[in-house]
Amino acid sequence: MPAESAQDRPIGSGGSLGLTLVLSEIAVLFRRLRTWAMIGALALIPILIAVVVRVSSDGSASGRGPAFLDSITQNGLFVSLTALTVAIPLFLPLTIGVVAGDTIAGEANLGTLRYLLIAPAGRIRLLLVKYAGAALFCLVATLTVVVTGAIIGALLFPVGPVTLLSGDTVGIVGYFLRLLLLALYVTVSLLGLSAIGLFISTLTTVPVGAMAATAALAAVAQILGALPQLEWLHPWLFTNYWLGFADLLREPIAWTSFADNALLQLGYIAVFGTLAYGRFSTKDVLS
Amino acid sequence: MNKNWRWLPAGIVPAVIVAASVSGSAVAEAQPQLPAKTAQELLEFIATSADDAYSGTLEQTSELGLPDIGMATPPGGRAGDDPTSTALELLTADHTARVYIDGPDNARVQVLDELAQRDVVVNRDNAWTYDSATNEVTHAVLPDKESVQAEAEAKLQEKIAEYPELQDVPRPPAELARLFLARIDPSTEVTVGANSRVAGRSAYELRLEPTDPGTLIGSVAMAIDSETGVPLSMTVQAKGQDVPAFETAFTSVDFTAPDAALFDFTPPPGATVTEIPTKDELEATLDARSGAEHAPPAGTPTDGHAEPEVIGTGWSTIVELPAGTATGLGLPSGQDAPGMSDIMDIKPGMDPADVAGAQALLEQALTEVDGGRALQTSLVSVLITDDGRILVGAVSTEELVAASRT
Amino acid sequence: MSSDGLAIETRGLTKVFGSQKAVNGIDLAVPRGSVFGFLGPNGSGKTTTIRMLLGLASASSGEIRLLDGVMPRDARGVLPRVGALVEGPAIYPFLSGRANLPRLDAADRPPPPPPRSTRVDAALERVGLGHAATKRAAAYSLGMKQRLGIANALLAPRDLLILDEPTNGLDPQGTREVRGLIRSLSEDGTTVFVSSHLLAEVEQMCSRIAVMSAGRLVAQGTLDELRSEGTARVRVTTPDIDDASRVLARLGLPPQVHGRDDTITAELVVEGLLPETVNAALVQDGVRVRGFEVSGASLEDRFVALTGEGFDVAG
Repeated sequence: MPAESAQDRPIGSGGSLGLTLVLSEIAVLFRRLRTWAMIGALALIPILIAVVVRVSSDGSASGRGPAFLDSITQNGLFVSLTALTVAIPLFLPLTIGVVAGDTIAGEANLGTLRYLLIAPAGRIRLLLVKYAGAALFCLVATLTVVVTGAIIGALLFPVGPVTLLSGDTVGIVGYFLRLLLLALYVTVSLLGLSAIGLFISTLTTVPVGAMAATAALAAVAQILGALPQLEWLHPWLFTNYWLGFADLLREPIAWTSFADNALLQLGYIAVFGTLAYGRFSTKDVLS
Repeated sequence: MNKNWRWLPAGIVPAVIVAASVSGSAVAEAQPQLPAKTAQELLEFIATSADDAYSGTLEQTSELGLPDIGMATPPGGRAGDDPTSTALELLTADHTARVYIDGPDNARVQVLDELAQRDVVVNRDNAWTYDSATNEVTHAVLPDKESVQAEAEAKLQEKIAEYPELQDVPRPPAELARLFLARIDPSTEVTVGANSRVAGRSAYELRLEPTDPGTLIGSVAMAIDSETGVPLSMTVQAKGQDVPAFETAFTSVDFTAPDAALFDFTPPPGATVTEIPTKDELEATLDARSGAEHAPPAGTPTDGHAEPEVIGTGWSTIVELPAGTATGLGLPSGQDAPGMSDIMDIKPGMDPADVAGAQALLEQALTEVDGGRALQTSLVSVLITDDGRILVGAVSTEELVAASRT
Repeated sequence: MSSDGLAIETRGLTKVFGSQKAVNGIDLAVPRGSVFGFLGPNGSGKTTTIRMLLGLASASSGEIRLLDGVMPRDARGVLPRVGALVEGPAIYPFLSGRANLPRLDAADRPPPPPPRSTRVDAALERVGLGHAATKRAAAYSLGMKQRLGIANALLAPRDLLILDEPTNGLDPQGTREVRGLIRSLSEDGTTVFVSSHLLAEVEQMCSRIAVMSAGRLVAQGTLDELRSEGTARVRVTTPDIDDASRVLARLGLPPQVHGRDDTITAELVVEGLLPETVNAALVQDGVRVRGFEVSGASLEDRFVALTGEGFDVAG
């Protein structure tokens, strides 16, 4: 193996944009049993809801419980919505916390971080790739809830045109388009939390600590959001628009919350992205 | 290489965000230059806007000095579905509503709740309400085109006892403006205030200030769109309070005709539809009932001997609902009050926690006064006398007590 | 090739953790093409130095030149030409041994010409892991993990290999294989920088060494240079320890008495004093010499003398 060949690397050939590393990141993320366990747990939410409603259904609507629950018996397509309402405050942030908190701290803990850096992955590039992986997981997690909900709902209950919040009715195709938009909305909602998780992950080499801290922050933000005394703070909380996905179920669609949410999450990505950069760009990797 | 440079972006980004949000509000406060108009010209300008078609988003906030019901509301849900809680929630909580207006005949108001929505649709001869949380529809046939406005208003008043939530549906500023303008008399000073920008549009300001010292209302200010004359915001200031007691304003407005389909409403499948009888039908029912054994329930507004009495004029007008009204509404009448559960109209299936929360709030809000119990907010006072009368007015509790004695 | 012909060069390289200087102003010079031993007890600052060389940790002060670039400024251009094993191998335990390698290779950009799978297979064969490639890495023994780590360093053609304790966890057979591997790489022209706390290992593989002790670089040069710097030592076996001690002291040689009470040693520190003169003086003074032995300077002695300690972890 002549050593000279090491110097004769073609510059700018494929993969310099980091696509290979992104694909590798995705492959590593989805080859973990843990990732599939979390996706399985998320899929279990709509399944449990649908099965419990089916088994205990006596046809009477109590008006209690999570939103859209009463509508399930009339239209199985509502299972996705009920499941999302249940998953958004706790289960989704929890799984996002695990993935985002693991990004840098997990590699540091395994020791693979040093090998990625001397490969060299490039510190900023690694942060971006890690964030892209976490963002993809947000989408997959959300779609898992929505799609599983639609399937199990269609299996157990009658399916038909869906009544929107405004009392208008849309056909199944229109409804699925809205569901896709809704999944996108929830994914965008979780991007701020992912950025926070990425930053926390650069602070420690103990992934469990970063995961717990990220998930705990999601809980804290929601508690603060429930306190009317802190109303001035609410528009700045990354959880503020989490349940605003319902605005996509109005006729006409209220796009303001989609835009406001996207802007807010972008702000969080910018703030915590630059914080993560500040922390990680020259951090000593000693693990 | 200075290692601290790496923190520079993390410092700049929040600074940019803060600067952007501050400058955003500064732009909104810039005062536009408009040709001067007198108060009278402004009032006429408003009158020309009745046929306009527009749509927009309204924000309503209120600071009535009531305990905030938000604390008693489960996260992600609304207060209990009973009328009392709903009314309290609408009074004390902030709301966002979308309004679609096409002339005097077509209107749609959508109150955007979290994970739910309440709609009012008026389409020439038909009026619908829809609540997504309960999947309930009410429908009324409006008698004829000319008196739609007056009739709808009367209907609302009539049905308040039965459907208190109707009273509190946020209404478009145009309607509210007309309501206030109808009260202009010598006891009101009407002036033109400083121009402002509302929902990105330049607007005149019309200020109404009561000269009557008895009223709790300090001033009412309206922003009037400089091009169309459509009222864009209304602010009610209570005497001696810095924050507006009640404020409703467009955050965005669009002066193109809304999609006509918005004013068509078909009850969704599976919804409970309640028909509100027309006046003629109602009278026919009552006639039929008067011959039957059961008398109509006491306190029904159409009940002949239960007409409300109006005391005073202008801003300090007090409305007195005669004895029996309180019990008819399920409210306690003085010493007879057996417990708060009577007030609450508790229905089976309601969450006990909700009921307890709302009860506690009412207990907190109602205070013992000489001759009854009173609820005082920064704008309105309510007195429930020991003999079961209810007095309401934009005056202090003392004034109500005094009025109850005459 | 840079004009000075050095693959690694540091000037006053220092790393401070809190108040402790883990690395204290070291000046390394590793010639191209050499197999360079980086010797020192555990905790003497070897791994911290390597972390700074590779840009994993920033230097508190000092300069680093690696191949043709300045670290960490030119990391992107230089590091693809450097293969490294730092503080043991690191693996994704949930991936197979074979799947572990492309992961780290993907982080390199742009990837070298031969297809990734070809290079991965070649590297695995080279470290003798071909048969266990599809096994989950979590099930690997320490030695297999070590081999996987070395395979990772060999994924692409390299100009410089930095191997931190490469034989750690390997059995004698594995150690021999690694030694052979390093030799063959060196023959191909690759500069190999091997850190170790084992003198014997370094002695067998390296042409040049540097010795670290408590954060300082205490010696650097070829093996012969280091050996010649050492002083010869006489070892006297006699029942008359006290007399012998007195004679040695008189000759200017500080005597050292060891555990056994009939042996005394002394370094020949006096210029021009020959061992036979020492022996004659002893006999002349009536010391009954049973045995007289002269030993040349061993590297081990040098190592002990330089680091002031054995092979234990530095306190």
